[in-house]
Amino acid sequence: MLAIIKKELKSYLLSPVGYIFIGLFLLIFSIFFYISIFQSRIINFEYLFYNGATILTFVTPVLTMRMFSEERKNGTEQLLLTSPRSITSIVLGKFIAAAIIMLITELCTLMYFVILDYFGNPSLEVAISTLLGFFLLSLAYISFGMFASSITENQIVASVLTIGVFLAMWFLPNIVSILEVFSLIYKFESFPSGMVSVSEIITFVSFTLLFILLTIIVLQRRKSVK
Amino acid sequence: MIEVKNVTKKYGNFYAVRNINFEVRDGEIVGFLGRNGAGKSTTMNMITGFIEPTEGDIIVDGYDIERKPKKVKKLIGYMPEGTPLYSDLTVKEFVSYMADLKLIPKKEKKEAVKKAIEETGLEKVQNNLTRNLSRGYKQRASMAGAIVGDPKILILDEPTVGLDPKQVIEIRELIKSFRKNHTVLISSHILSEISQLCEKVIIIDKGEIVAVDSTKHLEDNATDNITLNVVVDDINNKFLSIKNEISEIKEIKLLNENEDKTKEYLIETNSNNDIRKQIFSICAKSDITILEMKKVETSLEDAFIKLVENRPEYSQKEIKKMQYEKEIEELREEEQAKKEEKANKKQAKKEEKARKKAEKENKKEAKKGEEDK
Repeated sequence: MLAIIKKELKSYLLSPVGYIFIGLFLLIFSIFFYISIFQSRIINFEYLFYNGATILTFVTPVLTMRMFSEERKNGTEQLLLTSPRSITSIVLGKFIAAAIIMLITELCTLMYFVILDYFGNPSLEVAISTLLGFFLLSLAYISFGMFASSITENQIVASVLTIGVFLAMWFLPNIVSILEVFSLIYKFESFPSGMVSVSEIITFVSFTLLFILLTIIVLQRRKSVK
Repeated sequence: MIEVKNVTKKYGNFYAVRNINFEVRDGEIVGFLGRNGAGKSTTMNMITGFIEPTEGDIIVDGYDIERKPKKVKKLIGYMPEGTPLYSDLTVKEFVSYMADLKLIPKKEKKEAVKKAIEETGLEKVQNNLTRNLSRGYKQRASMAGAIVGDPKILILDEPTVGLDPKQVIEIRELIKSFRKNHTVLISSHILSEISQLCEKVIIIDKGEIVAVDSTKHLEDNATDNITLNVVVDDINNKFLSIKNEISEIKEIKLLNENEDKTKEYLIETNSNNDIRKQIFSICAKSDITILEMKKVETSLEDAFIKLVENRPEYSQKEIKKMQYEKEIEELREEEQAKKEEKANKKQAKKEEKARKKAEKENKKEAKKGEEDK
């Protein structure tokens, strides 16, 4: 698995993909930072992550769309799947590599905390709870993006599918309020208020595991369908 | 050793391969021959575990690919069709990643990567990105990925497609050098290549195996009748008349009248006997000078065409009929099995009853015995 993580990280960081993801996220995040400080006059680190979750909806596919689609299109899938590595380790390797890029991005956002800390007095505990929640949310998003990438060889289809489902999860509770159980963004909102609840953590973790599992199943099934 | 037993791969109603059987023994270089779409790549993908057969078993070195995929995949080096490479890695990184994927231990990895790069002649470009390589080098990089770590079995899907003649020769030499300690299965539709490299050929057509034989045997059997090519200096134009003197000659055709007034004839015979001696002695008698005389060698190409041509193409109707018959057969078998089961159950019940009766009687007797006492 380590070999796969290493290679995937290399692919992210030797091609523009990783930088586009990190750069895009931080750029939009900075704009929100500017707006919230200078226009809304709110000096609050956690508050920024409500917007962060929105950004995530749109930039996650940059990271995930190529995961399996590209392999399938280039035929390198054959190299992977005829190697003695198990499908589970391949999927987990790719997932963890993407999660590491996500973690790097998130650590970068700590600079806003430092800036705020210089001028004000933000709460560290709440910041940690927010970052934890945000990381769990991003893992869930990555796992879905990865699943979308495993079912098509077209990267655009994969990314459109990913964004579409994220948008639906975001807006559905506005239409039918019962559906907020399915809304990850809605679940995330309790973290910035400093309340970490087990049920939210379980939701995120189980969503992540579900789609990792589905990706594994898709790849395994393709053996007999292909 | 690779054993393919009754393997079928179906896509919907379409048979990509149908009930194929063959064997590749240790140390053999076997050519896998067929037209485009005959099922070569499908078969190779099944042997390497990339796709699953619909029916049948594939056994590599005693391990079933479906039950012990990891063990089988460790034994095989696979170079897929179209030489897929990771375009954002350099050649060295690519080969080293392939070594990682193949679970080669860290200690041996460096050496294995170096060896694979040397064997495929990639030292000069080992630090170039694979996307910047020329076609020939891409092919070699892909080959290096397949041979890294010296797998026991090599499966090469069209290894020389799209190369220039010099590269083709180099790659062939490379494959020949594997002969000593590898088992190699090569697919190709270039017949001369197969006849140069392989001792054994498997010919597949429309998803079915048409022939498994040695290259030489196939070539010899391609034509039953000998054909001769003769160049003569024949001033009196008597050569055509030798047809009357040797009964085996079917036809003599004039191929060419050369500038030096010699003539080239093609003699078709209707037997397998070598008549060159007879021709020679007759010509000597009738003042014809033979400048050149040789047997026209039949090639693998002829063998291939002969085998593949005139094979019945199954129509959709026939395939459906076959499926239908198979299903009926299965249903019948099922019914039979059910009947047998029922009969068995009845039998078991009867026995149970008999047993209970006997027990009761035994008890009664025992009671009687006690009472008697």
